[in-house]
Amino acid sequence: MNTPESRHPAELGNGRAPLLEARGLSKNYGATRALDSLDLAIAPGEVYCLLGPNGAGKTTTINLFLGFVAPTSGQAFIAGLDVSAHDRETKQRIAYIPEQVMLYRNLSGLENLEYFAALGGKGALTPGRLTDILVEAGLERSAVDQRVSEYSKGMRQKVGIAIAIAKEADALLLDEPTSGLDPQASNEFSELIERLKNRGVAVLMATHDLFRAKETGTRVGIMRYGRLVTELGTEEIGHADLERIYLKHMHD
Amino acid sequence: MTARTVLRNEWRLLMADRALRVVLGLFAVLLVYALANGVVWMRFQARTVEAVQAGNVERTRAIAEELAAIENGAEPASRFADPRAPNVLGGPRGSHTAVLEPGPLTALAVGQSDLLPYYYDVNIYTNESSFQQNGEVENPLNLMVGRFDLAFVVIYLLPLLVLAVSFNVLSEEREQGTLALTLSQPVSARRVVAAKLSFRALLVVGMVLAVSLLGILVTGGFSSPGRVLLWCATVVAYALFWFVLAAWVNSLRRSSAWNATVLVGAWLVLVVVLPAAINIASGLLHPLPSRVQMVTAQREASNEAVNRRSELLARYLEDHPEMAGGVVAEEPGLGALAWAATDAVNRRLEEVTSEHDARRAEQIALVRRYRFLSPALLAQEVLIDAAGTGDARFAGFQSQVRAFAEQWREFFVPAILASEQMDASVLPDLPRFRLEDEEGADVARRAGVPLTVLGALLVLAGVGAGVGLGRVRGAD
Ligand SMILES: Nc1ncnc2c1ncn2[C@@H]1O[C@H](COP(=O)(O)OP(=O)(O)O)[C@@H](O)[C@H]1O
Ligand SMILES: [Mg+2]
Repeated sequence: MNTPESRHPAELGNGRAPLLEARGLSKNYGATRALDSLDLAIAPGEVYCLLGPNGAGKTTTINLFLGFVAPTSGQAFIAGLDVSAHDRETKQRIAYIPEQVMLYRNLSGLENLEYFAALGGKGALTPGRLTDILVEAGLERSAVDQRVSEYSKGMRQKVGIAIAIAKEADALLLDEPTSGLDPQASNEFSELIERLKNRGVAVLMATHDLFRAKETGTRVGIMRYGRLVTELGTEEIGHADLERIYLKHMHD
Repeated sequence: MTARTVLRNEWRLLMADRALRVVLGLFAVLLVYALANGVVWMRFQARTVEAVQAGNVERTRAIAEELAAIENGAEPASRFADPRAPNVLGGPRGSHTAVLEPGPLTALAVGQSDLLPYYYDVNIYTNESSFQQNGEVENPLNLMVGRFDLAFVVIYLLPLLVLAVSFNVLSEEREQGTLALTLSQPVSARRVVAAKLSFRALLVVGMVLAVSLLGILVTGGFSSPGRVLLWCATVVAYALFWFVLAAWVNSLRRSSAWNATVLVGAWLVLVVVLPAAINIASGLLHPLPSRVQMVTAQREASNEAVNRRSELLARYLEDHPEMAGGVVAEEPGLGALAWAATDAVNRRLEEVTSEHDARRAEQIALVRRYRFLSPALLAQEVLIDAAGTGDARFAGFQSQVRAFAEQWREFFVPAILASEQMDASVLPDLPRFRLEDEEGADVARRAGVPLTVLGALLVLAGVGAGVGLGRVRGAD
């Protein structure tokens, strides 16, 4: 009943059934229209970058997919399931990486991964396997057993990715995951996203970084005042175009 | 699954948190110290009881010896302490001490046992003034706080430890940012908080129960399994109340600092202020007549009685034909006259005491009515009662001692009135005090209401926490 069969095929990124979908999704905070009738569909293997200034509604969108806030109207679907009605099932299929991946500082990266993976239903993974996943996520093998209090932000983001890998999430929700990372770390992060994309993960990433959006994204959406004002495929445009279009929308 | 995952993580967090381990270690030391305190007191009480009972045997033996010697022609050691005289045999020299054995779990809760007498020397002169040595402590805090025993630690300090390990159970996760990652997993805040608190409850309650059971083992309390069970159940319910209250406050999604303030405030109100206020109010609303009044009444009554002994004796014989034993002396002896005066003083004392007791009963009724406001008062009541050191057991003991004193008088007074002498043949028939101690069932019955109310408070806080935590979705 919740399967989005009624959609116009053209709206789907690569023609496959979307893993993340918003229909008329809206959120008011008091008088503030934080998100206004968002329609969005992200298929497996797509990286959808939400661009927009502060307060545009990017975080609100991600929080709606996470079920962290309830929509004022409209629905968010994950793998065809309405988030409001299927809290556990939808969370089983997603991974979330906030701007700051905050972990238990007194525990090691491995212990943190073990905990969050187990919460996500992957309690059977051995420490050896989890270590491999952390290494796959770009952490030095020697850092795996260090306390997180000694980690840099980049290392913590990598643990966030490792949690997503361990969970075998179908969809990834990223809220400005690279802001504050140095270019090197930022690049490594993008490569990881690329790899997950190639495995068929659907990615929704909020970002300020036009360059990164063009590099990593398959599509970008520009938001302003809670509305998705335009949507572009990154194949069709160059960096300069994206910047021009973005700025044009910001100054209307 | 979630529960096991959280429990293992909590264990790791505990292992990595030195401050928390220090706090828990400190609490363990306090528990052991409190237990040692209680054990020392209980041993002291047991030794006293033993000595007092040895005194009973020794007095009887000495009297039997002297009576035998007199029978064989010897003179009594003193003319005023002739053991053949009923007012000597039934008086202080031959008195019998009625004893209340220490409550089975006294080592855990000294309760009233260091405030109220647990033995009375009963003789024909035993009267209300003997029972008013109870020393009701006028300062309610003394009554409340009492000794530093396990019950004190459980009632006053355990809530603080519970709050210390749970005031930020959820707010900390939010403040350190781990809540977002946690709630993006297929788990509910309710389950996670429940699991986290279960771990901490297991730790804290486990410690208290372990030390309690150790104390019970050392002092032989396991012969009263019902009391042990009641003690453990009350500790668990009381500790859980505080855990659940912390969960509730956390579910309001405020800062850790706010939670701490509110919870310490709740502790202050429920554990310190309310009980003290109730005690003070009971004292103000129903003040006890001063003890001076009793002493004065006794003195006045005896002055008067001495001069009206014959009249008093005549009235006494009228009132107590059974005491005269059918033999009314033509010319009443000195002993009979003295007894009449004694009895008159006793009557006057009873009047004064009954007023005192009525006020005391009003005070207790007031405290009992308002104790429902404070889980601390409820838990304390049950803990002390379970230990066998509560008011009820002492009141039962005292009323049995009163009845025994009456029995003692009935044995001796007829002979006093008839100016008869007694001999060794009466010794085997002397009244002996045999306590009908309360049954486990009595204790359980008394615990019913307070435990039910405590349980209701627990459920109330639990529902609040459940509803509140059910609303926690995101990390804000
Ligand atoms: N919890 C909240 N309460 C009230 N207003 C909020 C809340 N969260 C976000 N907003 C408002 O909603 C709008 C969108 O915010 P947000 O989604 O965080 O934007 P972005 O992530 O694009 O910077 C802003 O105007 C913001 O002030
Ligand atoms: Mg944002």
